[in-house]
Amino acid sequence: MRTHTTKRLSVLTLLITFVLLTVSAATPSGSEIMWEVYNRDSGETMSANLIMTITNARGAVRERSIAQYRMDKDGVESKLMFFLSPSDVRNTSFLSFSYEDGRSDDQYIYLPAIKRVKRIASTSKNDSFMGSDFTYDDMGSRHPDLDVHKVLRKETIDGVSTLVVESIAKGDEDYPRTLSWIVDGQWFGLKKEFYLPDGTRGRTLTIDSYEEIDGIYVITDMTMRNLEGNTSTRIRMEDVEFNLDFNDNFFSERQMKIGPRR
Amino acid sequence: MHFFTSFAKRPFLLLFTVLILSLIFVLSIANNAVLETDLDEYMPKTHPAFMASDKAESLFGIKDAILIVVEHPEGIYNSGTIEKIDAITVALQEEFDAIESVTSLTTADNIKSDDGFLEVEPFYSGKTSQAAISQMQAEVEANPMIYGRNVSKDGTATLIIAELNNDIDADVLQTWVTQWEGPEKLMVAGRPVVEGALAELGPKDMAIMFPLVIITMIILLFLLLRSVRDTVLNMVIVLFGTLVSFGLMTLLNIPIYAVDTMIPVMLIAIGVAYGIHMHNTIHHFMRSYPDLSKEELATLSLKQMVRPIIMTAITTAIGFVALMSSQVLPVRYFGLFAAIGVLSEMLLALLLFPASIYLLGKPKYKKAKADFETQREKGTLSDTLQALLLHRPKMIVFISIAVLIIGVWGTSKVWIDTSFLANFEEDSTIAQTDQFVNSNFGGTSTLNIILNGDEPDLFKHPEVLLAMDSMQEDLEKDPIVGNTLSLATFIKQMNQVMLEHEDGSYSIPDSQELVSQYLLLYEFSGDPETLEQVVDYEYTSANITVQLKSDSSAVLKDILAVVDYYRPVFAEHAIEITYAGSGYKAFIFSELLLEGQIISLAISFAIIIILLALMFKNLRIGVVGTVPIAITAVVNFGVMGLLGIPLSSATALITSIAIGIGVDYAIHFLEHYTNERLGGSSLEQATRSTLRHTGRAIIFNAIAVMGGFAILMFSVFPPNRQVGALIVLNMATSALGTLTILVVLVHYLEKKHVFLPKRILDNNTRSFS
Repeated sequence: MRTHTTKRLSVLTLLITFVLLTVSAATPSGSEIMWEVYNRDSGETMSANLIMTITNARGAVRERSIAQYRMDKDGVESKLMFFLSPSDVRNTSFLSFSYEDGRSDDQYIYLPAIKRVKRIASTSKNDSFMGSDFTYDDMGSRHPDLDVHKVLRKETIDGVSTLVVESIAKGDEDYPRTLSWIVDGQWFGLKKEFYLPDGTRGRTLTIDSYEEIDGIYVITDMTMRNLEGNTSTRIRMEDVEFNLDFNDNFFSERQMKIGPRR
Repeated sequence: MHFFTSFAKRPFLLLFTVLILSLIFVLSIANNAVLETDLDEYMPKTHPAFMASDKAESLFGIKDAILIVVEHPEGIYNSGTIEKIDAITVALQEEFDAIESVTSLTTADNIKSDDGFLEVEPFYSGKTSQAAISQMQAEVEANPMIYGRNVSKDGTATLIIAELNNDIDADVLQTWVTQWEGPEKLMVAGRPVVEGALAELGPKDMAIMFPLVIITMIILLFLLLRSVRDTVLNMVIVLFGTLVSFGLMTLLNIPIYAVDTMIPVMLIAIGVAYGIHMHNTIHHFMRSYPDLSKEELATLSLKQMVRPIIMTAITTAIGFVALMSSQVLPVRYFGLFAAIGVLSEMLLALLLFPASIYLLGKPKYKKAKADFETQREKGTLSDTLQALLLHRPKMIVFISIAVLIIGVWGTSKVWIDTSFLANFEEDSTIAQTDQFVNSNFGGTSTLNIILNGDEPDLFKHPEVLLAMDSMQEDLEKDPIVGNTLSLATFIKQMNQVMLEHEDGSYSIPDSQELVSQYLLLYEFSGDPETLEQVVDYEYTSANITVQLKSDSSAVLKDILAVVDYYRPVFAEHAIEITYAGSGYKAFIFSELLLEGQIISLAISFAIIIILLALMFKNLRIGVVGTVPIAITAVVNFGVMGLLGIPLSSATALITSIAIGIGVDYAIHFLEHYTNERLGGSSLEQATRSTLRHTGRAIIFNAIAVMGGFAILMFSVFPPNRQVGALIVLNMATSALGTLTILVVLVHYLEKKHVFLPKRILDNNTRSFS
């Protein structure tokens, strides 16, 4: 009974959306924009070095560099990461598989000090990414259907024309409202603000540089500031490469123990 | 002298001045008085120990916490109680600005293993089905970081810990908590609650007891002096002294600290003496020379008393001024304003009595017959005393020495201790809650041991972690230590989980890489801020939290001794040990206070000897004159030792002040005695006259003060009882010592002709200063 109603409702929503889309064909709707962002080409395979700088409230800094490999294939996103520094955690590696069909992620960690691979509990999208100010959600791409989107205005940032999209979460979120500054036509964000349930700004994400590599826009320097905790994390990307050839066994426990490719 | 006689001749001007000044002071008190109850305001903030503590507190986010106990007699593991805990946790944070963060069973994280998974997750899943709650119970019981620490081992009670970034009104919180009662029982504990209650209870109780002290004193004074007029004068003097003291304090915009509630008590005990001695002298002249004119009576009595009263006031004031050597600001103010109060009482006593003669005529002491009888009785009593003193001097000396030996033996048993909790009755709610928390959880008091290194990643070294662990183990051997928490505790818990609880896995691994990798793992899966409470970002400093089941400074000293034993071990890694937290600061504070009081006690002794020597132009008199107060001090400490009353800042304060008061008796005795001798009396005559005249005043004074303060022994507030008891004891010893051993010593010296040299005996005139 309930399923039936829901289905009918979605059909209705689709119809209305369709009507609205035809009406306002000139400026894309918020939802359209976010779908564009979601579907933007990010390459089937990629490798890069991440340099993560975490600054705590007292201004103390921890710097880590990580080699990261990614492959999207058959509805599975595989990621393999190796710590390059600091030296006492060198070669510690993470392997994760995210499934498009909604199955929860599989995650493994390899600790070289005990030479053992452990499966670790799947993380929630809101969990901190490697102890940084980024969440797993921030590092991947959030499904557009999770929010209701609305274009607020056009704004120019450093000469780049952007559309400011307001997204209100449908479910319960730490930051129920976000504002994204999306580059018109290129569909990547230049800035994002996260608002707390009480309406105050909780976090801000700024993009300090981006590059076009192999026709794909890559953000190479970004900083997330947590205004509540007064902490920040900067992530820089180096040596970005696309279209790599990973053999079938690359995203495996065995590779975790072997170490990074280079 | 001239000032007093000429001012006393204008009684209306004097009354007017006193009234105007009183009015100014009353208005100032009414408008400006601010009671400062925040203990932080007492702390000498630039003291190195305080600066180190403040630094560590900000580095590790160490905060004072209020503990809310949620108890359910049938166990807390039911949906109602768990949901209530969650609701209280949320409400506390939302409704109180002063609360920085709240930790409870529903917010605490668990490091656990689940089929070989490492998980750092809240114990509370948000689900309250019986199955979920049973699982939560099992997880709590498997984690020593929470079991027996935040949750009682029998599962009937748990703690909600509210960390404060500001002071909170403990009363408001107590009331707020009652809305959550039933079927659970809620209790509030923790240092801020105890301190708050203490800061409030002391002055409150004093406000109730103080009028009772005054009423008793009025009754006693009237019975002793048998004169409404002199009783009124006495009370005017002591109340004016108090008014001057607090009036000036408020005029200068200095807040009233808790210690200042002692000022009225002190000023009454002291001021009454001036009036009694004035009364006594006037009374004496009236009896000896009934035909004196008003003017002669006023001038004569003033002339006789101006020197001893000024001297006694100065010696007492010096006792107070010596407190200004203290490092603690409120104590310095206390000393200053109490001294000012004493001096104004002295001035008023010297002015008011002669002025009353000018204004109201010579006093007609009522019940002359009864008075005469009393006098005769007293005379015989003092004669008996004299006979005893002069004929059995060895016995007096023997008794004194015996008392001294017992006193010294008792003093050797005095233990130094400051405890906020000791100030509460054992059956009071505060003491009972504390007791409950201490027996079911880690403890109500906290000590933070701070390890400071300078090399980054130092605290990832297994050797350093092992040293920490072994120190923690040693600390936990003391039954007063509830538990300890540090980076080492986290590492051990992670190691155990990662090694799937294999034997011996609750230990520090021996590879730095592994430690680093565990920490990385924790950071990824847990709440990295939790680690920031035990180690700094660069891993150069660490914080070990020790939970104690007592806030006694004596207990803390034992703990510090264990830590000291590890100093060389940590020194090998260039790690220095400091301490932090409000409990430690209170400890340092009370040590400073005590040290200051012992120093000021020594200072006042030295100054009193010098003053007495100057006053009587004889160093021996100076030394002999301090014998009664030396005995008083020894008896005071001896009784404290024998009765198990710890030496705390409060009891030390009373002692040093009692000594300043006690020396007055000796001054009055010596003054009268030397005057008699200089007037040509024989040794026996001088003694008899002095005992009759001054002895009476001393006994009256002692009875009035002791009687008044005996009332404090019925206070509901234990510290005020101690104040009462110690004042009674010290007054009694001083009076008795002056009237016995001092007389015997003076006699002995007189017989050896070393007390008053012929040179002085020849010189019959003495200048008044």
